[in-house]
Amino acid sequence: MLKVSDLRVSYGPIEVIHGISLEVKEGECVALIGANGAGKSSTLKAICGLVPAKAGTISFEGQDITNQSGHAIVRAGITMCPEGRQVFPQMSTVQNLRMGAYARSDNEQASDLEDMMNMFPILRERAHQAAGTLSGGEQEMLAIARALMARPKLCIFDEPSLGLAPKIVAEVGATIERIKKMGKTILLVEQNSLMALRLADRAYLFEAGEIVLSGTGEELQSHPEVAKAYLGH
Amino acid sequence: MIEILQQIINGMAIGGVYVLIALGLTTVFGILGIAHFAHGSVSMFGGYLTFFLVVMWGLPLALAILIALVVGFLLGVLIELLAYRPVRNANHINAFIVALGLTMMVEGLNLEFFGHEQVVIPTDFSRVFNIGGVTIPELRLYVILAAALLIAAMTIFVEKTKTGQAIRAVAENRDAAILMGVNVNTIPLVVFSISTALGVCAGVMVGALFAIAPGIGEGLVVKGFAVLILGGLGSIPGAVVGGLVLGITEALAAGFISSAYKDVIAFVAMILVLLVRPQGLMGKA
Amino acid sequence: MKLTTLTAALALAGTTALAAEKTLDIGVSDALTGGAAVYGLPQANAVKMAAEEINAAGGIKVGDDTYMLNVIAYDDKANPTEASNSVRKLIDRDGVKYILGFCCSGATGAVASFIENEDAVMLVGNAAERSITTREIPNLVRTRPPADYTGAAAGTFVAQKGHKKVAVLGALDIGFYASYVDAFEKELEKAGGEIVTRESFGLKDRDMTPQLTKIRELGPDAILVVGYVEPAAFIYRQAVELGIDVPRFGFTSGSEEQFLRVATSEQMEGVWDLRPTELTLLSASDNGIAYHANYSEKYGIAPSPSSPYAYDQTYALKDAIEAAGTVDDTEAVAAALRELPVPDEVVMQYLPVDGKMFDVNGQAYTSNGAFQWQGGNWVFVQDLPSDAAAYSAFLSTID
Ligand SMILES: Nc1ncnc2c1ncn2[C@@H]1O[C@H](COP(=O)(O)OP(=O)(O)OP(=O)(O)O)[C@@H](O)[C@H]1O
Ligand SMILES: [Mg+2]
Repeated sequence: MLKVSDLRVSYGPIEVIHGISLEVKEGECVALIGANGAGKSSTLKAICGLVPAKAGTISFEGQDITNQSGHAIVRAGITMCPEGRQVFPQMSTVQNLRMGAYARSDNEQASDLEDMMNMFPILRERAHQAAGTLSGGEQEMLAIARALMARPKLCIFDEPSLGLAPKIVAEVGATIERIKKMGKTILLVEQNSLMALRLADRAYLFEAGEIVLSGTGEELQSHPEVAKAYLGH
Repeated sequence: MIEILQQIINGMAIGGVYVLIALGLTTVFGILGIAHFAHGSVSMFGGYLTFFLVVMWGLPLALAILIALVVGFLLGVLIELLAYRPVRNANHINAFIVALGLTMMVEGLNLEFFGHEQVVIPTDFSRVFNIGGVTIPELRLYVILAAALLIAAMTIFVEKTKTGQAIRAVAENRDAAILMGVNVNTIPLVVFSISTALGVCAGVMVGALFAIAPGIGEGLVVKGFAVLILGGLGSIPGAVVGGLVLGITEALAAGFISSAYKDVIAFVAMILVLLVRPQGLMGKA
Repeated sequence: MKLTTLTAALALAGTTALAAEKTLDIGVSDALTGGAAVYGLPQANAVKMAAEEINAAGGIKVGDDTYMLNVIAYDDKANPTEASNSVRKLIDRDGVKYILGFCCSGATGAVASFIENEDAVMLVGNAAERSITTREIPNLVRTRPPADYTGAAAGTFVAQKGHKKVAVLGALDIGFYASYVDAFEKELEKAGGEIVTRESFGLKDRDMTPQLTKIRELGPDAILVVGYVEPAAFIYRQAVELGIDVPRFGFTSGSEEQFLRVATSEQMEGVWDLRPTELTLLSASDNGIAYHANYSEKYGIAPSPSSPYAYDQTYALKDAIEAAGTVDDTEAVAAALRELPVPDEVVMQYLPVDGKMFDVNGQAYTSNGAFQWQGGNWVFVQDLPSDAAAYSAFLSTID
């Protein structure tokens, strides 16, 4: 479904992604793991058109989407739930959710909104509150729900558990599990590597802008170096 | 009491003009982070154009305003495309210099086309209403009502339409807006055309109620930025509250303290507000 | 080909014919653009028109020589710095010795401060700030009387009308308007009246309702408006809109057209303008009527009432040069100006002091008039009680 080949990304003169290749197949959940600054977010941003790819190609459902503008990529069916949640702080919960459906032109948005409220009951309680005043966990739920409002074919999550209390992290994990069960294709970046690898069908390990290891979730979990460096055993 | 009420009514007309100018400035600032100094001069161009259509071509006022509005929309698009877009990704100082240059250019064009003498857009509204000792000239009343209508329309647009919400979204978080599928290349065009059209309305109001002359637009844009800071940068309710507060404060200052220092007093009041609320009246801390 | 030769021959013939005459460059520094151009541009036009008339009538005769006038006009935007620059340019680059124009006080004051050291003569027009002629600068004269000369006459007039409580609304941060009001107040107080409030407005203000609302609360017998036409017109209109129905006096010197752009004739009805008589057809001499007609014909627009100050400068200069018998000796020309009787061609109605157009201060005095808006026009009602000799003596005591 998504195919990235030999992708290079740089910020100004500094190259931070040095020619990586990865693939996400339809219905899969793929995780990217790696240390801080390894280049996971940069890869995702290049896929979504937020930063330009300096070299390499990105294709989605057979179409070349390399360096297309962000709004076109959304319309192609890729939606990202970005690192740090990035809700619209002064807009209400409902307004944020409606923005999620911005690229859609069908008339089922109202019922989808209702579905999201059912899936995340806390959002119904906070429906008309400014999103910036929601707690971190609530904002994460909102960001996930907002991403789902786009009815994406590929759903990308960048560190959904960042900065959340352990209990909420578990809740986020459960939510992604549910989305996976809904049959969505998922590309997941997580610091919490254990959670990521448990959720993932396959995973890639990033180190300093390169992919150093890939395999199924179980394979990586049991790989000695991964276990030592990222899973903390 | 009548005197206070009268002064408040006096201040509401110019306050309404300040609001319209500030709304344009605040949306542009919110989206692009630029101080669009040329806004006042462009607004006055709209007023001049209306004057020209009414006086030289003999068009009815409503039609002239309509044409000026359309021209305002297009002008907004041109300004964004030709002046600001090329420097969008450059250092902020570039946009700042473009804004200053554009101001001089538009002022120069106004002078070239419309001359240095003040122009007043002629209207037929010369009745004066007297409500318990408070007098309101018909034209002033219409200006206040029209400003209120435009403010309401703008609020509904931003709150209730998809494009309006996209504008807010871009202002609040540009990258996230892109991830929602907002085309951040077209939004500035929409913002500039709406801002400029609102400015044109303000220009028409100033031209009908008072007069347009060289330098008036520059004076207004300074007041517009004062309103922005007073109300909270990028905040639409802030522009509304700030504009009215500034207009009425000026009237009260001139009427009750000193007409010679009314601008000074209004600015001191503004600074006092900012000492208590650095983020402005409606700004989020 | 033939045509070109013919043209060249004609041009050559023209040059030879003119070779017997000399050209005298005279300069104009005035506001040709910007807000003050309403005063400055007509003055520059008036000088050009007078120069053409003088040339057509045979130029200026000095001994055996005849000088044709050539006018070099620069825009000083009524700005002190720009005015200093344009006068420097005229003197240093263009070699001009006689500089006319000067509609506005700030710019004029700046030039007046250094003109004494120059080999040049400065003739000031519409600028009304008193201090321009209090320093007895020998090479400077002014055709327009200072504002307070008129203010005193206006104060006497308003007091004679029986008004006791007068509210003032004016551009009071401008010196000569403030001095008009001061002189007005002095005369009013002599008659037992008083100014109940002095409200200000700025050059760009067009909404004077706050000040007028305050004035309305004070319940004066009359209001006095001093300032440029454009804001003043708004004051008259807004006073009516606020229901202020006491007599309105003013010192604005605007034309009917200028006021009607802002206010309706009904809103203007009954307003007084107390000012130098200047150019109004109703009070005009034959010269004034001819001036109005010629100017309108030449420029396609009626002359501003104050523009003859500059027209008259040109004729005063001509007479002074002829009396001095030199174009080079500016001291002699300046001295001759101080001795000059009022020239026949002038448009304004000067009140000579000791038979001379300019007094020892270099100041000329015109009559002041009370004009009233009646049915769409300014109507000359009467002369104001002006006393040129007394004021001249007073002016000499100030420095
Ligand atoms: N906007 C930027 N400008 C310059 N350098 C950047 C920018 N964003 C990221 N980088 C650099 O690119 C490298 C990769 O960063 P990136 O955010 O992709 O890492 P990451 O794997 O997502 O890390 P984390 O787990 O901390 O989120 C880092 O060295 C970072 O400093
Ligand atoms: Mg990251």
